[in-house]
Amino acid sequence: MLDGKQGSTLQKVMRTLVLYGRALGAERFVDIEGDGHFSVPYAFPGVGLRPEMLDELTHAGLKTKHPFTLDPRAPLDFENLGITREQEQAFEHMLRNQARYDEQMLQLGLKDAEAYTCTPYLDEVGNIPRRGTRLAWSESSCVVFANSVLAARTNRNAAVMDILCNIAGKTPLIGFLTDEGRRANWWVEVKTRSLPNPQLLGAAIGMKVMEDVPYIVGLDLLLGSGLNERTLDYLKEMGAACAAIGAVGLYHVENITPEAVDLRTDLLSKEHKTYIIDDRELQNLMASYPVMWANRGAKPQKCLVGCPHLSLRELHGWTRRIHDALERMGRDRVAVQTILFASPQVLRRFAAERYSFEELKNAGVRLSSTCAELYMNNPLCAREAVITNSNKLRTFTPARMLLDEDLVEVLVSGDLKG
Amino acid sequence: MRKTFHGRVILPGDVEGEALVTHTGFNTLASFYGSIRTEAQTATCSDHTNQELFGKNLTDKILCLPKTTGSTSAGAALEKVAQMGIAPKAMLFSESIDSLAAAGVILAELWVGKRICTVDRLGREFLEYVKDGQRIEVRDDGTIIVCEAKAGQP
Repeated sequence: MLDGKQGSTLQKVMRTLVLYGRALGAERFVDIEGDGHFSVPYAFPGVGLRPEMLDELTHAGLKTKHPFTLDPRAPLDFENLGITREQEQAFEHMLRNQARYDEQMLQLGLKDAEAYTCTPYLDEVGNIPRRGTRLAWSESSCVVFANSVLAARTNRNAAVMDILCNIAGKTPLIGFLTDEGRRANWWVEVKTRSLPNPQLLGAAIGMKVMEDVPYIVGLDLLLGSGLNERTLDYLKEMGAACAAIGAVGLYHVENITPEAVDLRTDLLSKEHKTYIIDDRELQNLMASYPVMWANRGAKPQKCLVGCPHLSLRELHGWTRRIHDALERMGRDRVAVQTILFASPQVLRRFAAERYSFEELKNAGVRLSSTCAELYMNNPLCAREAVITNSNKLRTFTPARMLLDEDLVEVLVSGDLKG
Repeated sequence: MRKTFHGRVILPGDVEGEALVTHTGFNTLASFYGSIRTEAQTATCSDHTNQELFGKNLTDKILCLPKTTGSTSAGAALEKVAQMGIAPKAMLFSESIDSLAAAGVILAELWVGKRICTVDRLGREFLEYVKDGQRIEVRDDGTIIVCEAKAGQP
């Protein structure tokens, strides 16, 4: 590839990878063994591939070695978003090249026209790599889930570099692809009185360990042992926060994640550091978050839940929470326009379970398979007073984060104090 | 008064400019998101969690940092600000460069034709010594000269 015999574009792809591998200190490349997942679904500069690059790749007839899934689809499902005509026009302008972009992604190897979500590893979607599979994924929340919960092996590849690696079918042998790179260098002890909010805990861990690997103890006592629906959902949320707010690509949780279950403290490097998290630590962190709304005292206009995308179990959980809060307050419909985000596959299954689906719709709650973060990318949407339970969304946008139990009260009552 | 440091060259170059320093991880996407979204003429740091850089102009600065953090969209974001002509002039890492930053500067180099001079492994002492506004000279062998004087002063 590097000598140009397979074409000049593939040669440029390989030259890029060689420089990348060298910068990271890799001595060689290894073959990618499984399907991809990339964070480049939008024809939006700075997030997706630039059109010039995409044209160059597709004109050269290049394709990834394995099929891939992408982050959530572009926010063009206006009927689900409850937006103004001006906001629609802004999206139409921002994403004016989206149809062509989507088509080119299919040419490059996108699995199918519905393969858009930031939770590709859920059963309904089915991009679930086996333990030990070498990958080159991006999307920080997916990388950390694949490494930690599925025990697959991928580095935190940057957007665009992900697709180039998968076109070449090669990734540098470095970091999380090696046994040494998967050892923990932090002992993180969770000493809270009850199960902490996962996105707050994840943020605390991420800010402390940055790109290091934490070995987390004490969490299994609050969450339960082993992998099941409850722990998977919790780890999905925790991982998204520690990846986006720090740079964590792999964590081990004692008695829960596969490598920690098998290798226990053998995973810990001898010279590890220690971080103890208690309730005060998390309270202080939550209190430190500034309100970024233009008008601090504004009434909440929109509530976005599902960054990362909700699982089916979480959708049912929110349905129940909202139902209970409506009953408690004697209301029929939510006061703040609320959108729950999940993959197309999960939403389809949820819709098939008609009772919960209808209940949410009747309460005025909307469902979408787009991305809350991209919604906020529209400057006219970013000006809204948005509340969320996502620490990731809070980090990248002016959205204000509330803990789940507070959020449900506010979205039903419309009142936000402080 | 000048102090010299040596690092590993990722992308070489001889450039001079004004130091802008962050001691916490530089969240690339959060920092550039605002400027990309608004198609701004300069890159004003939009990462409100970075108290050292939030609101400061990153364009043409010599960005001194430990490493980058945050979303994996970082590579595309850095490539885009390079294409827009509003990227930092150089990025100087006290630690080894991380994969997201490496991707960003290499994509900018090979696919946009814009070089962000990049040197890593400059050590903790470098980041403790360098201050906002100081003039920095970057040499293509990875030598970094930090001048006591502010940029623009003799």
